[in-house]
Formats: sequence, C-alpha cells, structure tokens
Amino acid sequence: MHTVVQAVILGVLTGGVYALMSSGLTLVFGIMRVINVAQGAMVILAAYLSSLMFSRIGLDPFLSIFLLVPAMFVVGVAAQLLFIRSLRGDHSVEMSLLVTWALALGVEGLLSVGFSTTDRTTLTSYADKSWSLAGYQFSVPRVIGFGVSILILVLLFALLRYTKFGRSIRAVVQNVAAARLLGVDPARVSAIGFGIGVSTAAAAGAVYGVIYPFNPGSHYDLISRLLSIIVLGGLGSVGGAIIAALLLGITESVVSVEVSPTWAALAFFIVLIAVLIVRPQGFFGLRERTL
Amino acid sequence: MQRRIRLGALAVTASIVVCAALASTVAAKTDGHASKAASSVVIGISLSLSGDFSDEGKAAKRGYQLWQAEVNAHGGLLGRKVQLKIVDDTSSPTQVVTNYENLITRDKVDLVLGPFSTLLTAPAATIAHRYGYAFIEPAGGGPSVFAAKLNNVFFAQPAPAIKNADVLANYILSLPKSERPKTAAYPMLDDPFAAPPIQRLQKRLEQAGIKTVYSATYPSELTDWSPIVAKVVAAKPDLIAAGTQNVDGYAIAKGLIQLHYNPKFLYIENGANDPLDFPTKIGRNETSGIMSSGDWFPAEKSNGNAAFIKAYVKAYGGSGQQIDTTSAEAYSCGQILQAAVAQAHTLDNATLIKTLHAHTYRTVNGTLSWDKYGSPKGETILVQWVGGKLVPVYPSKVALHKPILKPAWK
Repeated sequence: MHTVVQAVILGVLTGGVYALMSSGLTLVFGIMRVINVAQGAMVILAAYLSSLMFSRIGLDPFLSIFLLVPAMFVVGVAAQLLFIRSLRGDHSVEMSLLVTWALALGVEGLLSVGFSTTDRTTLTSYADKSWSLAGYQFSVPRVIGFGVSILILVLLFALLRYTKFGRSIRAVVQNVAAARLLGVDPARVSAIGFGIGVSTAAAAGAVYGVIYPFNPGSHYDLISRLLSIIVLGGLGSVGGAIIAALLLGITESVVSVEVSPTWAALAFFIVLIAVLIVRPQGFFGLRERTL
Repeated sequence: MQRRIRLGALAVTASIVVCAALASTVAAKTDGHASKAASSVVIGISLSLSGDFSDEGKAAKRGYQLWQAEVNAHGGLLGRKVQLKIVDDTSSPTQVVTNYENLITRDKVDLVLGPFSTLLTAPAATIAHRYGYAFIEPAGGGPSVFAAKLNNVFFAQPAPAIKNADVLANYILSLPKSERPKTAAYPMLDDPFAAPPIQRLQKRLEQAGIKTVYSATYPSELTDWSPIVAKVVAAKPDLIAAGTQNVDGYAIAKGLIQLHYNPKFLYIENGANDPLDFPTKIGRNETSGIMSSGDWFPAEKSNGNAAFIKAYVKAYGGSGQQIDTTSAEAYSCGQILQAAVAQAHTLDNATLIKTLHAHTYRTVNGTLSWDKYGSPKGETILVQWVGGKLVPVYPSKVALHKPILKPAWK
C-alpha cells in the first residue's frame, strides 16, 4: 500500500507539469484549430535557455520563468505571424501541422548545433533534496515545479474567465464567425493566443529542465504525450487537459510500480482508447457550433 | 479531389528532391584531406560527425587524429605517411554503408577503421568483409556485431558488451560470505547493451545465494525513473546493480539520493563510468562509492597511455580526466593496426586479418586478443568513484585502489 500511495504522489506531481505544457497546446487548438506540434520543442528550448541562465549567471530556473515567459511570448507571436497566419484555404489546418512540425525540427537542429546532442540536467542546490512526510518522500524540485505549474494554470484560467481578452478568446474558440460579428478580431486573438500557448511551454520548460534530463531530441517523446493528453481531455478544453495530464501521471506511475515499467506507457493508451470509444470527443471536448 | 492529389504529389516530390539534395551534400561533405600522393597510406573511416552520436563521433575523430600524428612522427606505416579520409555518416546506419562502399570502391583506400556504435558497426563490418578489408573498430561491442560471424572484425575493447558486469560478479563472489550482499535489486533498461549483462550477473549471484528482491526491465522511451527507484528502495536491497545507458544511469543515482537510500553496493553499468559527465550530472560529492564497468581510464598504466594523454591535452586542453573513452578506443584501433602492419610487413588486408588473429596487442585500452569472430577475450575493469575520481578497483592486478564500501549520501 505504501508503494502505491508513493506512486500516486509522484504521479500527481508529474501530472501537474504535463498539465501546464498541454494547457497551451489545447488552448491554441481551441482558438485557431492549429495543432502546434512544436509545443514539445518549445518546452525543450525553454529548458535549455533556463539551464543556460542558471549555468552562466546563476539565475534559479524557477526565477528564470519571469524572463522566459515574456521572451517566448514574443517568439510565439512572431511564429504565428510569420508562419501560420499566411496559411489559407481548405488545407490550412493540415498545412499548419507541417509548418509547426518544421518549426519543431528547426528548433531541434539549432539546439543540436548550439548545445550538442548529449543529455543535460539543471543541477540546482535543491535538485536532490526531498521532504519526508508521514513516511512518504516529496522531492523538492517536483513539489516546487508542481506548485509553479498550478499557479500559472490558475493565472491562465483567470485570464480566460475574467478579462475582456479572455472573453474574446472564448468567443473565438466557440464560434469564429459570431465572434467577428461582435467586433472581435480573430487574427489578433490568434497571434496573442499562440504567444500565450508558447509561454506556457516556456514556463513548463524551466520546470522540466530541473526535474528531467533532456536533449534536443526530447521533444519527440513529449509531443506524443501532450497530444494524447489533449485528445483525452477534449481538444480545446484547458480543464480537460489538466485532468487528463493528472490521469497520465498517476496511471504511469502506479502501473510502473505495481505491474511493470514496460506496461506503464501502454496503460495510459489503453485508458485513452477506452475513453475515446465511449466519448469520442474526450472528457470535455467541444462540439463544433455552426451558424 | 484532383487538386489534393496534385498537391500531395507535389509535396512528396518536393520532399524527395530536398532529401536527395541534403543526402548528397552530407555524403559529399568530407573531412580530412585524402591525398592523391601515391606515397601516402590512405585509411578510410566513417564517423558520426553529426546526428545522434555526434559527440562520440567527434571524440573518435580526435583519437584517430592523435594516432595519425603519433604514427607519422615515427615514420608512418612501412615508411609511408598515413592520411585519414574521414567522412560523416550523420549517425545513420544506411549512410555508413554508402560511406564504406565509396571509401573502398571509389576512393580505393588502402585500409579502413571502424565507426561509432554497434548500430553502425554491424552494417559497416559486412561491407568491409565483402571487400576483404580488415575491420578494427572502437565501439561496436554489441551482440549483433559478433553474431554476423565475420572473420575480419576486431573489437578494440577488452570484452564484449555482454560481459560488462561479469567483473562485478567476480568481485562480489571473491568476498567472504559475511561481507557479501544478502539481497539485490536489478533495474534494467530494455537495450541489448544494458539488460543482458545484468541478467548474467543476476543469474550468477542467485546461484551463490544472493536473493533477488527486485528485477524488472524498463523501456527506452521512459522519461521518469522515480517510480522504479521508489519500488527498488521499498525492497531495501543490499546491492543495486542497474543495467543502464547514460541518462537512466544518472537518473537512478539521483533518484536514490533524493530518497536518501544507501545500499551497501551500488553498481551503475553505464553513465557512472563517464569521468566527465557523471560528476556534473549528480554532483561530485555524491559520487563516492558508486561502481561501474570501464575499459579505459586516465591513470591506466597501459601501452602508450601516458603519451596519448599528453598529446591529447596538448592538442585539446583540459586534463586526462576529461578525455572521452571513445577517443582512447579509437586511438587503440590505430595502435593495433600499426602493430599488425609492422608484423605483417604489408598493407595486404588478407594478410593483416591473419596476423591480427594470431597475435596479442598492447594498446592504451589494455592488452587485446580476439576469438575468430572478433569478440575480445579479456574482461572489463571494475571502476569506482573514490574521493571524486574514477579509479580501477578490481581485478587487483590492475587496481589502483581497494574497493570501498559505499558511504552515506552527503
């Protein structure tokens, strides 16, 4: 029993970080029907930048989030304006998949050249510390990482729910044509929304770098998990992505401990397929509304 | 619909053209200067100068070039200068085949030496075999290389990968019963290098009465090792022998530090034997007592090692501790070739293959000899972190320090 509870604790802490990464991905899909497959590469880019700031100027990775989020927001807006906005016509969604994939490969290539292909870890003074509570271990960087992720998710939620811009985002998510009729500029919302999506990757990247070893190719593995999470949660639903991410974390961790590490990844996909058979739109998938 | 098909066809055609253009640039991108001068001995080598293995590929290149400088400073091979023709295989097992085909048939190099990793060595060795070239190679120690049963392969490390952990079993069984571990845990990466040596170890230790309390393989896609470490710790083993590659090796060490669990013996198959990276990944203070397997180490009193380290530091800076073992392995390939050519008095590959099978070679990487399919007959060395340095501790004939018991984490 002890090992199961410890596994659940680990799973929740891991799931929180995945929730942050996937929230941006699902948000971008909701706004503009673009699956940004470069989200994983953006996470890894941020992990490198945060690690670089730590090794060069001693800036704590969690504090580097304050610099990374605005910087990567700009990168995100620029990427949307340069590469995605120009895609028009019937196939713009498929083309955006290719364009963002190219972006991911470009980022991977630059990182390989700049930082070589060996694995990196950001070794902070607290990297190996853990708190002990009632016989259970809580790794310090994971707890902080989880806390930071939840905090940013709450901020994102508040932005969507209580600000005028948040309302325009939700309007575009629900129905582009109606939003336009109400005076919302979908192009502007898309650019800023993409920027926000990349910003969540930036924050998650700083956290990721403290917890896991990473290399320029780590994004392949990440994006496959993130895509599974947002499909399970329901495309476009931030709340769904959070629940799916926690489910992924807990399932993998518990199966790894109780059954075998080999079955851990597969177990999540079994859950994914089972849910999709019953609810093809995922937990909170949006049903398209048309005029 | 028709438009879609045309667009699709256009995209496919475009990507094929782009791929072909890229491939030809890559293939054409050669490094080193092959000379047309008839007096030079040209040695063809394909290395991973880009792609997944580029760090190790470049380390191998440094080793080969240092040997080239060394052999040329002493008159070359049979009085002729040595020229290396090094081409990039982008870490691809198909490009490496093309490269050796080109080196042998188009460039007509006199001799060849091996690439980096088993993945590339196995296909490359068959090409060398087809054309009758001796294939001394630094890094292809996996089962697939020897399973091909080629007579031209010579792996320049003391033991094949499958025997990596044999030395740990030998050490543990050399201890009096009271000092041996009573229980053992074996987390293993599902990989031909990582798991099979640990499975051999587990079998031998079980036969000696050491109880297995955990044994499981994990997939290579795994990114979070914490649940595995938690499970291992819950089993409270005296010995943890982890069958790893590098990243998971670091992660398992870090996981144990986080959970404050101190086994009496901690062996990490790969990762912990990297003098350069391991301390930076887990912290030098925490390395103390961790064991691993090694084939080369800076303080080794092997043939030419002092000169190799001196030349390396002179050319690339740093210290002996910072040399990637792949550089030493590549350098020893050169040493073997040099000795074999001197013995055979010819560059004829068929004669060289016979000569290599008949002799024992003293290299920076230890004394090497092979069975008929190129698998080395020696054994690896048990290395351990003592006082922040990686030192050989077993077998005693090569040990520079006695094995220490693992102290508590800092």
